[in-house]
Amino acid sequence: MNVGGVKFGGQPGELPSVLCGTIFYQGHRIVEDEGRGIFDKKAAKRLIDRQAELSAETGCPSVLHLYARSIQAFQSYLDFIDGVWSGPFIIDSADAATRAAAAALVSEIGYADRAIYNSISLATDEAEARSIGDSEVDTAIILAYNPSEPGVDGSLAILETGGRVRAEGLLATARDLGVTNLLIDPAVLPLGSGAGSALRFSVAAKARLGLPVGSGIHNAISSWSWLSKKETAIRKGCDAAAGAMQLLSAADFLLYGPIEMADVIFPAAAMADILIAEAVRDLDIAPEGVHPLHRLV
Amino acid sequence: MRDTTKKRIKGYEETWPPVRGDYRVCDPDAAVAVVTLTSPLVLRGAAIFGQCKTENLGVEKIVANVISNCNIRFLILCGVESKGHLPGNTILALHRNGIDEQGRIIGSGGAIPFIQNLPPEAISRFQDQVELIDCIGIEDAAQIEELIVRYSRMAKPYPSEPFQVVKRKAAHRLIAAGEGDLFFGAGVAMDTTAWIVIDESETEATIEAATEG
Repeated sequence: MNVGGVKFGGQPGELPSVLCGTIFYQGHRIVEDEGRGIFDKKAAKRLIDRQAELSAETGCPSVLHLYARSIQAFQSYLDFIDGVWSGPFIIDSADAATRAAAAALVSEIGYADRAIYNSISLATDEAEARSIGDSEVDTAIILAYNPSEPGVDGSLAILETGGRVRAEGLLATARDLGVTNLLIDPAVLPLGSGAGSALRFSVAAKARLGLPVGSGIHNAISSWSWLSKKETAIRKGCDAAAGAMQLLSAADFLLYGPIEMADVIFPAAAMADILIAEAVRDLDIAPEGVHPLHRLV
Repeated sequence: MRDTTKKRIKGYEETWPPVRGDYRVCDPDAAVAVVTLTSPLVLRGAAIFGQCKTENLGVEKIVANVISNCNIRFLILCGVESKGHLPGNTILALHRNGIDEQGRIIGSGGAIPFIQNLPPEAISRFQDQVELIDCIGIEDAAQIEELIVRYSRMAKPYPSEPFQVVKRKAAHRLIAAGEGDLFFGAGVAMDTTAWIVIDESETEATIEAATEG
């Protein structure tokens, strides 16, 4: 799968992991006004440049994960990235109307082929679905969250059949809306509530559906109360470890959270990519030309 | 001989609250619990207070911790609502309408408002035991503390035993073995020697097609 020049998927060990850092997230210090999208442009450029530098250094491609509270903020962020980022980006908001409006906006300004919609899920109502269908966005993250049937089977059911809560599977819904590039997200729950099943689901979904898989496993770490009382270095260590575990569990991409974590995540992901590539070296799976195995060792 | 009287009078088990989360316990004998939604408020006088940002698992934890303490008769919802998720709106809907057969909280405006880890009796108990005080949007700690004092005076413990929510155990299931030696469920197995992941349904279809051919 190719989105805005970045390849997702392949057999484990074949392609480097795609790493997606979030900017303008809720509570991001560089944002002065979340509603209007007013922020420190110098700081934002530094963060985006740093992610791009690490991407070039390691060989792991990157995606900019844009979070906005309102469509006005989205407009402001998209105007800004026009000059500083030419790769793919994720459009995301907690508000369905804002996400839907963003899909229309990127279509209008000619960015739809670089945009990844986050996400199509059980929460996608008719109005949001109509907006996605009317837009030119053809790439979306499909959230396999099935609260009525937790676990691997339930997550696959929500994608394939809709399980007990939808008349059809989310994959069919997405395709009906013109979304041809589907990225699967297991929806990582908090530790203690079933976070680990995302790892097993990732392997099962990739094998069964043949689609790229990835997650925001950092959410399980950041919501872990026990860890939150520990030092920063310890928390970062757990973030890196969780990312690497997700990659070893067949993930093709990571929604690694705050873009400030790039310095921690890129080395960890590159290390995981190298180990996986070496693990399959004698099975005739060769890593692509641009890969941490070729760049860093 | 063990004295159980004290335990019953207290209205909660020694291990209360039973579910971990983003909260602080002040006085387990107090009558008021406070959900501050996304606002990181620090309050005095409540039995327990804390944030809630999600409309499913977060809400379940609140219900489990509230109904396991009979002293809690009022639940104040305050602070800034979590956009999109709407946990405050969801708690109000749960209390007013309950859930449907799929576990969906009836009437919630939240994104994915489902209850998956609580039995129906726990929802009924929640509806019966506590009265909700809707102060969503208010972040003034002093104002909320005044409400805590006011409602604490009005309360008597719920006349029953604490309701303990027991986590459902995952059913043990034997997964049919195929060619692989590491099984992920849903018909997917891995042959760890060859590092090949197999979808057993596809494998069977291939074998059938080859046999027929």
